[in-house]
Order: sequence, then structure tokens, then C-alpha cells
Amino acid sequence: MPSLTLPRSGYALPGTSLHFKTGSWRVQKPLHHHRAAPCHTACPAGEDAQAYLAQMDEGHPEAAWKILAGVNPLPAVTGRVCHHPCETACNRGHYDEAVAIHHVERFLGDEAIRHGWRYPVSRPKRSAPQAAVIGAGPAGLSAAYHLIRLGYQAVLFDQLPEAGGILRTALPAYRLPRDILDAEIERLLGAGIHFHPQHKLGRDMSLDELRADYAAVFLAPGNQRSREWSIDGAVQRDLHVGLDLLQEWVAVGTVPHIRSAAIVGGGNTAVDLSRILKRAGVTDVHVVTHQALPGTDAAHDATMSAIPREITQATEEGVIFHPHRGIRRLILRGEKVVGIELVHMKKLSRENGESRTVAFEGTETVLHVDQVIPAIGQEIDPTGMESLLRQQAFLVVDAWGRIAGQSNVFGGGDARQHSTGTVSGAVGDGRRAAIAIDGLLRVQDAPANDNETPLPFDQINLHYYERASRQIAGTLPVGARQGCEEIEQGLSASQVSQEARRCFSCGNCLACDNCWTLCPDEAVLKTQELASDGSHYVFDYDYCKGCGLCAQECPCGFIVMEEEL
Amino acid sequence: MSNRSTASVSSADLRNRQPRFRAMESGHRACLGCGQALAARLVTEAAGPDVVLANATGCLEIFTTPWPESAWRVPWMHSLFENTGAIAAGMEAALKARGKSTKVLAFGGDGGTFDIGFQALSGMLERGHNVLYVCYDNEAYMNTGIQRSSSTPHAAITTTSPSGKERMGKRHLKKDIISIIAAHHIPYAATASVAYPSDIRKKVRRALAIEGPTFLQIHAPCPLGWGHEGDQSIAVARLAVQTGLFPVIELERGRLTGAMPIRNVRPVADYLNAQQRFRHLSQDNERAEKEVAHLQALANHNIETYRLEGDTPDSMDSEGIDTVRRGGMRWA
Repeated sequence: MPSLTLPRSGYALPGTSLHFKTGSWRVQKPLHHHRAAPCHTACPAGEDAQAYLAQMDEGHPEAAWKILAGVNPLPAVTGRVCHHPCETACNRGHYDEAVAIHHVERFLGDEAIRHGWRYPVSRPKRSAPQAAVIGAGPAGLSAAYHLIRLGYQAVLFDQLPEAGGILRTALPAYRLPRDILDAEIERLLGAGIHFHPQHKLGRDMSLDELRADYAAVFLAPGNQRSREWSIDGAVQRDLHVGLDLLQEWVAVGTVPHIRSAAIVGGGNTAVDLSRILKRAGVTDVHVVTHQALPGTDAAHDATMSAIPREITQATEEGVIFHPHRGIRRLILRGEKVVGIELVHMKKLSRENGESRTVAFEGTETVLHVDQVIPAIGQEIDPTGMESLLRQQAFLVVDAWGRIAGQSNVFGGGDARQHSTGTVSGAVGDGRRAAIAIDGLLRVQDAPANDNETPLPFDQINLHYYERASRQIAGTLPVGARQGCEEIEQGLSASQVSQEARRCFSCGNCLACDNCWTLCPDEAVLKTQELASDGSHYVFDYDYCKGCGLCAQECPCGFIVMEEEL
Repeated sequence: MSNRSTASVSSADLRNRQPRFRAMESGHRACLGCGQALAARLVTEAAGPDVVLANATGCLEIFTTPWPESAWRVPWMHSLFENTGAIAAGMEAALKARGKSTKVLAFGGDGGTFDIGFQALSGMLERGHNVLYVCYDNEAYMNTGIQRSSSTPHAAITTTSPSGKERMGKRHLKKDIISIIAAHHIPYAATASVAYPSDIRKKVRRALAIEGPTFLQIHAPCPLGWGHEGDQSIAVARLAVQTGLFPVIELERGRLTGAMPIRNVRPVADYLNAQQRFRHLSQDNERAEKEVAHLQALANHNIETYRLEGDTPDSMDSEGIDTVRRGGMRWA
């Protein structure tokens, strides 16, 4: 600072106003305040898409992948199969169109496989405590990965010869190519997980043994048994169950020879099976569900749970959907189905707040089909866990996977109560359980729930963003959808960059220079470095008068004003 | 709430390592959210170090040089209200005589430009001095307590144009200074707004690249005089442009050569309602409605005269020009 002299005539030395600290005028001060982006809070796996989009936008794909893979070890998988609630939540959706987050995720996952990027973890020490994980599906794989990331040894058991769980047994290759799945699982198992295939709980080891041998146990057995199904007690003799057929087709590529079929259910199993039957040459494939098609104004819980994109593609392929329909009666000749009687049904809410599905008399129709295939969901196979389940068909766990009354047994994935039945949800369960196990073994309190309110749309300053339409990926034409070739194509590297650029950067610094450019008092200083976390802008509180212009004009809600009296 | 910014960074060191030129230093006494302080900072940043300034009496002069301090880091001279054009012309002639290429900038407020210093400015332009004259237009004599100037818009309240039984704020119209300046047939005259800093920087560089007299009028909100919070300065300035009340244009040798198109023209009420100086216009009576309609007609007249309404979205229109990018790479 130039020294302050008292000149005898009318001049002053340059920059001497620095002697006067205008910061003393201030009654409120600007602060950098990171808020969660809506994509972050909406992600069942816990990914912070804003953080990796920022790295992508800065041109660092590997750093972006490391942020992503620090939370979700299977991004190439989830980038393909997830229903991406992040995009539904994306603030940009209120402006033009949501950022194609799942395409960026998928791109980064594929790049990691192509370049052999390594997880941001080191191998656990041999002396580290061991945790057992039952089930090598997405929840178990995620838990094992996060246990290693936190420094523990993870021992993973699965009853099948290969890891992957539902990803391998029930997801058709046209949605999830096997080379992608194999590559991610191979990399994951290679990160230091001890994998024991063909080990079944209740047959090869008991829960008591696991409890005694390991510091902690995480149960992610999935749902292995199909729910009982009949129409008023009637069942055809040659009953096939949806998930079994799907698993058979995925494993050996065949389905029973039928001409027409009605599949009962509104989930992904029903839709996947309908498309497989179509591929196998079944002429008429119907899907019958109580629920509404997505995109209608029906309530969320009254809408089909299958991914809307998959329903659209199935319709393109010729599957006929019968929403709001139930089966009133099986039309049997002897013990074989020749048709079904459908009736209009709708979920109506009752005065006590519950809802009830009502069938409307006089709306019955007959559909001639050879076969009726229930795909109404699965439930847990209780073998080996009877003492935990107490006759219930699911594991009762809290937000961190803890089971009441059990000190070191945790649960998650599809087998838990209120499971979302999604891959990303299972990945999130595994991660949270690993964090809870870490808390248990370090004798720490469980971390606070990370349910932060995301940055609302009205805190985005839209003046600073330009409209830009979402990049569109190709899909395989309907005529070419015969076998296992992937239907949904990815985005190119330049398209992914454009998507990353479209991100509003909700609640985090966009490094746009607005605060630095617009401060009338030169009280926002900039370091030379570019950083995506806002740390390269510094408030000089000696001179900041607290006018709030920087907070008002911050495009992404990263600056807040705090009272200071 | 976290504040990661102040940890282990000496702001004095950082201040001296800023990746941009600073002609105007912190510690000046401008009010919170001062549009003029921001505009002067942006102009001098773009002008670069090899400049000398002549600064008319007014807020900028007062708040940057409280004796014995100065916020300026470039040679700066206080002129009187009425003679800034003459002082700048003399500086330019002296530098020229010594064979120096240093640029001369003259700064004045709207009072010092539209009213008191107008004849000196006109003479400077007429004699063709190589000076960029910047008028910081906050539409009244703010420094002496918000008296109306010939730049004060029609119907605005100032302490000398109150609203009451007889009048609805200022009776007369805002002087069309840019047309008068352009009538001097100078090589470059332009208007700009603090809401669009890239545009200001571009116009300053453009003006300084021209040999001869150039003029820039910058619309700069005064939170105190206009009656809005300091954090609204940019939002209010932006609305002045978006409504058409302040056209952002360029004139070369008196002819219109550029205008910032307005992508979505906003009703003038949006601009008026954001400011206390127009509060009497939100009353529900015939006089208020008539004045709002009058101001809307003035805005429409600007839009027609300068063809401000954009037909297709453009990266240089009122919405596209302030688009931000990661890394801060604005286009100017």
C-alpha cells in the first residue's frame, strides 16, 4: 500500500484510498455457500452430477470420472439402465431441457473402460478388519467397493458362478451389453475384493458364522422368489413366471413356443419380457397393468414403474399396452389358457387418504391369448435369514442399512423394505451401508442424513444463460432390433462437452467472473488459478461494503449474503 | 455455511496480482451498489495504463479523491463542472506537442455533460481533439442531493421535480444528448449500460483505437437517487435496456451503425416499478396511467427509431450478450 502523506497542495498519491477500509460500512457480507444441486439430491446412488459436469466442462474427463466413480463404481452400467431421476430434477428442465446427465455418465464410464482408468482407491491393508457382503448384485458390489475405499477388506459371496446379480441374470443385452458389464465388474473385483462365487447363505455358511467371523455383514441377497399368482385361485397348468422366462432368455436365448401372450405387470421385468417375446417371434404380445402409462397426469405411484424410454421402445417394436386394466377371469379350456377377461380399473383415493383400485362393471372385454405370464414382482428368499425376517418378505432397515437389534448386520438392495427396485438405488444402499459400517468399526456416531434441500430454480439468474437444446442420441431403428445389439446409442465426445456446458452449475461456482467483473468496489479478487469450487474468487472484507450485487448477479446461487451486525 | 475464500490468502498480495489492469482502487467512498463506480472501473480497466484522466466535478470526482487520498492509479486531474472538455483538450494538445501517444479520457456526469459542461464539450468535439469523453449518466445531480438535470427522464421524481397536485415528477423530457453529439459529425459516439460490461469494454477499446474525438454515454443506476437497493443496480440497468427506454447504439459520423437488439421487449412498467423515483406512477389513477403510457410511447419511439426489436435470438442481443461461461471468457 502506498504510504499516506499529507501533501501541501492539491494532489494525492496514487491508490492511497486503500488506507480507508470501507469494509467498516458493511452490515451484511457475501459468502461462498455451496448448495447441493437438484441432480445430486435426486440421485439414488448419491452421485454429484454437477461436480463431474464441471470437470467435464473444464476438459478433464478422467477427473470427472474419478468424482463419479468415487460414489458409484458402475457408471457405464447405471448410465445405461438407470431411470435418471437426476434429469427429472435438473433445474435446466424448467428453462429449456434437462441436461442429458445419464449420457455424460455413460460416456465417462465407457471412457474409463477404454483407457483403463483406475478407481480412486488403494488396496486395503492385510491387517484391516474384514466385512462380509452377501450378494454380488449392484448393492453388494457397491458395498464391497466402498468398504475397500474406506480401508476395509471386503469378502463378497454370491450363489451364482459370476458376479453381477440381476444385472447379469435379468437385464437384456440390448439394454446392457455384456462386454460393458463384464469390464466394469472385472475392474471392480480387481480393486481388491475377495470374491467367493457359488456360496449361498444358509447352505454354505450361516448368518451366525458370518457374524462371528467378520467385523460386519452386509446382506444384499436381492429378491429371488416370484410372488404367488392366481386369478381367484385359478392357475393354468403350464404357468411360466416372468422373471424366470427373462432369466432363461438372458442365459440361453430361448423362450417357450407360443403364438400370443399377455404379460401381467407394469415394471421393467414385464416390459423387458414383452420385448424379448416379440424378438422370439411371438406374434401378439400384450402387457396388462392396473397402472397408467407414463406421461399421463396420473399420480406417481399410479404410473407404471418401468422406465418410460423402455415403454416407448417396446411400443415401437409392436408390444400392445393395456393400461388401467385388470384380469377378471382366466378363460380356460381344460387346464390351458385360451384367453383372459379384462376389466377397466382405476386407482381412486379414498377419504382416509389411502387409495384403492376399483374395477368398473360393464367394461369387461376378452383377449385371446395362448399364455398369461405374471411379472408382478419378486420377494426375498428367506433361506439363512429366517431369524432376521420374522415371517416378513423383506429386510427392515433404516436409512443407513442398519437392522434394529443387530449390532453388526446391515441390509440393502432390492431385498429391503421400500426398495426403489433400481440399480442406482441399490448402489446408494451399498455406499451408505459401507459408511455406516465404517462408523461402527471406528466407534463413531452415524453420520447425519445427507438430505440437504437442493438449490431451487428461482435462485438461478437466467439472464446469464443462453438457451441451448439438449443433444440427442441415436437409437437403433425398429427393424434392426433383432438380437443383442444395444438399442440406445451414446453421445459423441463433442456432444458430451456441449451437455456439460449446458449445466447451470446449481449452487456451485461456475468460474464465470461475474462477481469479479461487477463489484463496484474492487472487493472481489481473483487468483490466477481456475478452480471449479469458487476458491479462486476471494472477498476482500477490508473493502467490501456489502452491497450484495455479487450475490444478486451470481448466475448459480453460489453467493449468499449473511447479516453482520 | 462455509467460507473457503479467505483462508491463508493475503488479500494485499492478491490485489497486486490481479489478472487485469486496475486504474481505480478500493477504498473509494461510493455508495453501496454504485453504478457509476462500476462503470468507471470498467472503462479504465479497458482503457489500460497509458491514459490521463480529466474528471468533472461530481460524484466520481468526490468519492475517488477525498484529500489526502486518491483511488486513482493513473494520472488524474479534477476539472471544474463547466470546463472538462477544455481541460481534456488542453491535456491532449500538450501531450501531442511533446510527441506522446498517451490517451486522454474525460469523465463527466450527466449534469457536467448535458448541462454545465456542454459548451466546452461541444468545442472539444468541434476542434477535433483526440479525446474519449465518457458521460456517466445517472439522470440527475446526485452528488448535490438529487436535483433534476436535463438528463432526468420524464416523470421521474427528484428533489427539484417532486410529484404533487400540479406535476407528476419532471415535466420535461430527457435530452437526446447522443443525437446532439452525433451532430458534431465525430467519428464515433455510442451509448452503453453497466448491465452489459462486455459491451462497455468493446466500445472503450473501439473508441480509443480511433484518432479524433469520441464519446461514450453509459447508463449507470444510482441506488440512492433512483430509489432501489444497491444489489439491484444491474437488474435495473438491464431493464432500462430491455424496455427500450435506454437504447444501446453506436453512431459513426452521425449515422447509426449499430444497435443492441432487444430479444424480449419488456413493458416500461417493469422498469418503473423497480424504482422509488417512479413510485407515483404505480398509483391507480388517470394521471399515473397517462404518464406510464407516455413513457411507454417514448420507449416504443426508441424501438422504432433505432429498430431495436430483434427478430431472431442473437448472441449479441440483450439476452445473448451477457451469457457467461465457465472460465469467465466473456467475449470482450
